[in-house]
Amino acid sequence: MKNQFLLLAFMLFFAGIGLTKAQSNKISFEEYDLDNGLHVILHQDRSTPIVTVSVMYHVGSKNENPERTGFAHFFEHLMFEGTQNIPRGEYSNFVERAGGTLNANTSNDRTYYYEILPSNQLEMGLWLESERMLHAKVDSIGIQTQKKVVIEEKKQTVDSRPYGTLLQETMSRAFTEHPYRWTVIGDPDHIRAAKDEEFQHFYEEFYVPNNAALVIAGDIELEETKALVSKYFADIPKGNDNIYRPTMTEPPLGGEVRDTIFDNIQLPLILHAYRTPAMGTDDYYALDMLSTLLSGGQSSRLYKSLVDEQQKALEVSSFALPFQDPSVAIAIALPNMGVDCADLESAMDEQVNRVRKELISEREYQKLLNQFENTFVKSNIKLASRAENLATNYTYFGNTNLINTELDKYLAVTREDIRRVANKYFVNDNRVVLYYLPKSQQN
Amino acid sequence: MASLEVLNLKNTSGRLPIVTKTIRMKKSVLFLLALLVAFNINAQLDRSTPPKPGPAPKVNIGQPASFMLKNGLRVFVVENNKVPVVSYSLSLDIDPILEGDKVGYTSLAGDLMTSGTASKTKAEIDEAIDFIGGTLRSNNKGLYASSLKKHSTELLDVMTDVLYNPSFPDEELAKAQKQLLTSLKSQKDDPKAIANNIKNVLRYGNNHPYGEVLSDETVNNIKVEDLKEYYNTYFRPNVAYLIIVGDISVKEAKKQAKKYFADWEAKEVPSHNYATPALFDQPRVVVANKDGSTQSTISLSYNIDLKPGHPDAIKARVMNQVLGGGSFSARLFQNLREDKGFTYGAYSSLQSDELIGSFNAGANVRTSVTDSAFTEIIYEMERMRTELVPEEDLQMIKNALTGSFSRSLEDPATVARFALNIQKYNLPEDYYVTYLERLNAVTPADVKAMAEKYITPDRALILAVGDVPNMKNALTQFARDGKVEMYDFYGNIVKALPLPAGLTAEKVIDRYIAALGGADALAAVTDYTMEGSMNVQGMPLSMKMYSRRPNHQCVETYMQGNLMSKQVFNGEAAKVVSPMGEQMIEGEMLESMKAESVLFPETKFAELGYQLELLGADNVDGQDVVKMKVTSPAGQDKTVYYSRESGLKVKEVSTSPQGSVATTYNEYITVKGVKFPNKLSQSVGPQSFDITYESIAVNEGIEDSIFAL
Repeated sequence: MKNQFLLLAFMLFFAGIGLTKAQSNKISFEEYDLDNGLHVILHQDRSTPIVTVSVMYHVGSKNENPERTGFAHFFEHLMFEGTQNIPRGEYSNFVERAGGTLNANTSNDRTYYYEILPSNQLEMGLWLESERMLHAKVDSIGIQTQKKVVIEEKKQTVDSRPYGTLLQETMSRAFTEHPYRWTVIGDPDHIRAAKDEEFQHFYEEFYVPNNAALVIAGDIELEETKALVSKYFADIPKGNDNIYRPTMTEPPLGGEVRDTIFDNIQLPLILHAYRTPAMGTDDYYALDMLSTLLSGGQSSRLYKSLVDEQQKALEVSSFALPFQDPSVAIAIALPNMGVDCADLESAMDEQVNRVRKELISEREYQKLLNQFENTFVKSNIKLASRAENLATNYTYFGNTNLINTELDKYLAVTREDIRRVANKYFVNDNRVVLYYLPKSQQN
Repeated sequence: MASLEVLNLKNTSGRLPIVTKTIRMKKSVLFLLALLVAFNINAQLDRSTPPKPGPAPKVNIGQPASFMLKNGLRVFVVENNKVPVVSYSLSLDIDPILEGDKVGYTSLAGDLMTSGTASKTKAEIDEAIDFIGGTLRSNNKGLYASSLKKHSTELLDVMTDVLYNPSFPDEELAKAQKQLLTSLKSQKDDPKAIANNIKNVLRYGNNHPYGEVLSDETVNNIKVEDLKEYYNTYFRPNVAYLIIVGDISVKEAKKQAKKYFADWEAKEVPSHNYATPALFDQPRVVVANKDGSTQSTISLSYNIDLKPGHPDAIKARVMNQVLGGGSFSARLFQNLREDKGFTYGAYSSLQSDELIGSFNAGANVRTSVTDSAFTEIIYEMERMRTELVPEEDLQMIKNALTGSFSRSLEDPATVARFALNIQKYNLPEDYYVTYLERLNAVTPADVKAMAEKYITPDRALILAVGDVPNMKNALTQFARDGKVEMYDFYGNIVKALPLPAGLTAEKVIDRYIAALGGADALAAVTDYTMEGSMNVQGMPLSMKMYSRRPNHQCVETYMQGNLMSKQVFNGEAAKVVSPMGEQMIEGEMLESMKAESVLFPETKFAELGYQLELLGADNVDGQDVVKMKVTSPAGQDKTVYYSRESGLKVKEVSTSPQGSVATTYNEYITVKGVKFPNKLSQSVGPQSFDITYESIAVNEGIEDSIFAL
């Protein structure tokens, strides 16, 4: 069960954004725009002879047409099909032959492609990414192949995985206006129905230099790298200026939404999803810390109380979704055998109520700061994560340097702030409650 | 428009190949320039060819500072200021230890270092580390701790408490032994574990630390005193290295090392020498049985003399990558998987070691191609010895190795490991700094020379673990003397006891029926109910099994009193009810349920149309047995083992879609004159569970509703 639960937690984070983390040791970088609008971020770190070349396109599932969901993720697949100069199926071979690795991921807000190469293969990385941006193969052979793959992927990761529909069921109830109401993987029917030219238009609109950040991090010569960036990217034509970005504001939930989902599962699951402010706001940081207080580690509030002491839950978890626009913070509990769901739910509420009423203790607060700072700092150890954090900070906030200053925002959160946001956001009228129950309990 | 970037581009490569064309157009200078710029880009950048890599980068590995404390502890400091994190890795440089009848005790001693100290319980140690968001791990060769720099004092307090005052609590040892026994149990059916044990025993021998095998007995022999003695003897500063990596100056590190590690008491540590086991002078062919297996786990392995950092090491590694390293293009993979389709993957490894290095080539292949797979592996090994590898293949291997070497350097632990290796193996100071240069200098001739030296199939242990009867004979071709030996999980030779003359399958069954209580007693049974309990992944389950003549059966599983699943067969149809819903059972599975639902089918094997084939003698957990293949009327077969002493069934192995299922039967008890096994143990793949029956009721009647669909 535990494995399954971890899988679930992983799945919820599959977008893989991670938090943008900062630390006291300054991360230096240079940034500039090319004439075609491509934002370039260079981070030199010569301690290891490797280089990360990555492109973050500011397109995620939220930029999709509600009748054509799943496009951004579809492109994550399509972009490996090849380009005018790279034969079908060869894209990743170039990287492997060069001694590198590559991958990509998609979230509601952005899509991220990267290669990690030996530093003498920098030009290879630039060639590959520029090929992708200039003239990826968006043709019917690739589209047909990837349609099958993506539809299979949804079956595997959503439909047949226990609790696999969790995010979908939550978001469709937490949002009625904002495109967060559908998930990254989207609707297979939309993908199936989409015509080739719809994919081509999507590519033309979003996969353009003026909608992308190119990050090159690692063992590089700055001037030489700039010249190479020009060589490969300067001639890529700028795209349309009117890139579709949803601007609608989601109205307040206006009362608790409560529902039951019957699924192919053995153990029930209880979920609370509280609507939250956008990433980067002061309240977001406080809420993030509140989630960690509730379930970060075995001595956290929910874990200690529900799993250890009362033994009502098998597992608990809580986290704020790191989305660019206002989204939700989720708390999940799996009841132990024979425990009534309603009983466990009130035990969860009791813990939240406690945070609403009492200030957390100084020691707990200190531990929280320590835990936060630690994960935070460690998330910038790897070059690849630093590159992604730089890209995210620029793409979401237009503030690349947040990588150096964001920790302060967390450390500035007070015990009173945690109590305040618990009272402001973790209230019944602002949440979706889902019970996942075994299908055998239906009717 | 003529942007900076474009100018930069011109500077990068000043060639303007379209000049003639533009001059011929005779337009204004401005227009000409614009054209130049426009054409320039396209002409200069030939996108159709992938860019060439630059020269191999030189690795910037921080040169570690090194100093020694008075107690003999050697300290390395690798300063790395990227993030404010610091780690302390303490490792013992000691000889491997012969554990004798307590195999496993040194690793338990290592594991339990963090399970309690004189002043802290395990929970308190965990809490202290959690509070600072740090990490602390231990094993029999040292300790590792890491945290933010600002918490390093608290971290070192806990780390050194663990280092100086471990208490090895009885209950923690008992817990660890239990876990070890559980994992050992699942290993007994794991062909890879069987192969490893046999390889170790046969290649290194019982008197070498590499040749020792873990067993229930050795685990149970381990006492707290053994752990304490190991700790007291070997956890000494004079044989230890402390590597401090992270955001810390040498000066600070020195201060910390002195403060926390200077009081660690030195004491002479025994060294151990072992005779180098002899190499085989000809191939040795060995099989081991894994009943019901459809695959053979094959390997061709032998010891080599290759010490870490030896001048051959890099070249030999490249050679191994060509033969069977992890890449898709390696020869074993290409031959056995891509060309022949024998397997999902075939690989080789070449390990250097201070005592004895090793070579291994292997794969999991279909039983029927066991011998052909060996033939192909040997063919590829010979080819390495006789042919030069093409430059292009070699280049690709070098690129892949360069990439993985470079990426591994990102982890500060790699840098630390390098520093340690340089010291431990007495390598040149620039060994790793020049690693990539030397890697890239490897030639096809080097590769061939390495193969000639290290690829010696004629001295190999040729081992196949799988369905012995179906592959053993085909392997005689690889042994010069035509001899194929059989070994068991513990690396003991299996001598087939000759079966008594005149023994037939029918006689074995008759004896089994008599042992159960006799045909009359069995015929008098009209129904029985067995209630038992088991533990699956820490969750207690209970189950009820109902059987009624002629062939009704029902199995219910409960978790904390709640019905979790139910399987019913009413003589005609069957269904499964589970939290996933209800499902009628059809096809092969229904046939198999039909056959299994007959009460004591052995009493009417002939009438029901079972086929019996006596396979010979064998040994199950130390018990001499007769082994028989039993094929049901529907054509499903299983291997059944009957004790030669009691005549009772002790084990059976069948094949399911999940893999082979092994069931052992223990502790028979008598109820109303009929024997039932009181304990049953079943393993499917890596999972195994034990059922103990709390009650067995015979002829007490079972309600019809139990068998209702």
